[in-house]
Amino acid sequence: MKRVLIANRGEIAVRIIRTLRDLGLTSIAVYSDPDRAALHVLVADEAYRLGPGLARESYLSIPRVIEVARAARADAIHPGYGFLSENAEFAQAVQDAGMIFIGPSPSTIARLGNKLAAREIARAAGAPLVPGSPGPVADVAAASAAAKTIGYPLMLKAAAGGGGKGMRVLRSADDLGSAFELTRGEAKAAFGDDSVYLERFVERPRHVEAQILADAHGNVVFLGERDCSVQRRHQKVVEETPSPIFTPSIRAKFAEAAIAIARAANYVNAGTVEFIADPDGNFYFLEVNTRLQVEHPVTEMVTGLDLVAEQVKIADGQKLALPSASLAPRGASIECRIYAEDASRNFMPSAGEVTRLRLPAGPGIRTDAGVYQGFQVPIEYDPLIAKVVSWGEDRAQAVARIRRALEETVVEGLTSNVAFHRWLLARPEFILGDVHTGFLGESFTPDALKATPEAEEVALLAASLHAHARALSVRPVERGPSQWRYADRIASRER
Amino acid sequence: MKFWSQLGEREQDLEVRVTGTHLDVDADGRALAADFVPLPGEEVFSLLIDGRVHEVSVEEKDGAILVTLHGQRHKVLVRHPLEKTLREVRHAGPAASGEVIESPIPGLVVALKVRVGDVVAKGQAVAVVEAMKMQNELTAQVGGTVSAIHVEEKKNVEAGTKLVSLT
Repeated sequence: MKRVLIANRGEIAVRIIRTLRDLGLTSIAVYSDPDRAALHVLVADEAYRLGPGLARESYLSIPRVIEVARAARADAIHPGYGFLSENAEFAQAVQDAGMIFIGPSPSTIARLGNKLAAREIARAAGAPLVPGSPGPVADVAAASAAAKTIGYPLMLKAAAGGGGKGMRVLRSADDLGSAFELTRGEAKAAFGDDSVYLERFVERPRHVEAQILADAHGNVVFLGERDCSVQRRHQKVVEETPSPIFTPSIRAKFAEAAIAIARAANYVNAGTVEFIADPDGNFYFLEVNTRLQVEHPVTEMVTGLDLVAEQVKIADGQKLALPSASLAPRGASIECRIYAEDASRNFMPSAGEVTRLRLPAGPGIRTDAGVYQGFQVPIEYDPLIAKVVSWGEDRAQAVARIRRALEETVVEGLTSNVAFHRWLLARPEFILGDVHTGFLGESFTPDALKATPEAEEVALLAASLHAHARALSVRPVERGPSQWRYADRIASRER
Repeated sequence: MKFWSQLGEREQDLEVRVTGTHLDVDADGRALAADFVPLPGEEVFSLLIDGRVHEVSVEEKDGAILVTLHGQRHKVLVRHPLEKTLREVRHAGPAASGEVIESPIPGLVVALKVRVGDVVAKGQAVAVVEAMKMQNELTAQVGGTVSAIHVEEKKNVEAGTKLVSLT
């Protein structure tokens, strides 16, 4: 393997390119028209146009990506996350074109991509499952009967769903009728498959996931958990490792379940086994993500591994050869996702020019960004513009460092969620690690981001001082004294 | 130089004196040492207030000053303190006639709106001075008869220059 094409954009494409270059491989970027000057194009060795801005004519077009990869003589394709990363048809097309797909096999992706099939694999592997309907529920009557057995509160979910789409909480039997039709409609529209199933809804749940690596020689390793319980509208915003609620004995059981599922699925490459956990540390299988996760850096921070490099080696057929220290993670790590979005307007995505950008650095801080100052963030794609990740000897140090880093961060031009992160990281619930996936929904209101009296004081002062500076500098003088001399005169006159 | 600024319901009276390398500021009676320095190439400033570090982006729009601090934007109206006095006078009832209208700011006299002998009502515009790319209309706070005009149009004036006298 010498030439690797990255079928993605933004921060993850940049991050993958960096590893490819570390490995001495040729990195090949692809881009849509609005991304011609995007960071991933600038840092790659080679870059080729896919098509117009519309994702389905560029980053989501299997024929285009394959065509460009062939023309670029790529040996392998890394799909990143999102776009075509969990598309079995794409993985197959890559193999059919004689290239290596850096990820699991097409059949593994297909099987684990169906949530019901994934549940059966987990059940067969002996992993704990949330009580639920044994299969899809065909109509309201069947759903109602299943609901009685499982008990409320319940979650109604699309079998083909993901990313928080196509799911609904039912508090009582009264909610069932309308929710059933709505969820089916959403499932049909979003995934082209309207089968839905029922699951017990775990109150105050935490989202905890296992990072696994598996090679083609039967070796599977568990690289610790990630706790992604801080979510807005079912989307992760902050992730950390280790989970604040995990004890060594919970972790051991958790690792065992994740490894058993990976083995049962004949999994090869990097993967994430997602679980839901209650505050006591009881966990239940949710799904397997057959790709690199957005939040993979927290695992890298505590293990010292480069997960993309491991993915490449596994795809190349090499045996896992991890230093044993990486299996005993050190310290704690926290990631904040910096989105171009307005937290005070229901997290509405924002786009436009990044007029100012200052990303944090320093002890224990890693920043993965997909933008630079002056770049026009296109409206067409995911609003994730950067990830700020901290590492500390313990959680307290990781928290202190990420708070410091977010204080330093400047993103202007478009609206970002940096101020939202500052609010969140100062919340006692977060500092104590006592959060659940509904925490933001319960605790965050736009009022939380209202300007403080101190900030207003500074703004008032700044505006007047600006007016003052302008008054001194715009005094129309022809070849007159400099403004500094003039300032002196003002001073002397006022004295 | 004096300023009167408003941010929503909040107001601030500010007096600035340039003292050597920094600014002596009186903000609502509180003495502060400030330093306000542009960063290269941008409308961004490093602001030190009694040594505390702040960084602000400043943009002028529709007569207001938009200050971005920590990613949050604040809309501030900066005016001459005369306008505050004027507002107070409006509520204070009849006052004695006669006043001298001075330019509150250094700038260019864009227009003189009165002639000697004109009767000027309270609140009526007498001159327009352009500064900070903004045209500032100067109005009579008390009113009276124009007894003297001290400047000409298109001339530069400094803060405190007498423009028009009313008796």
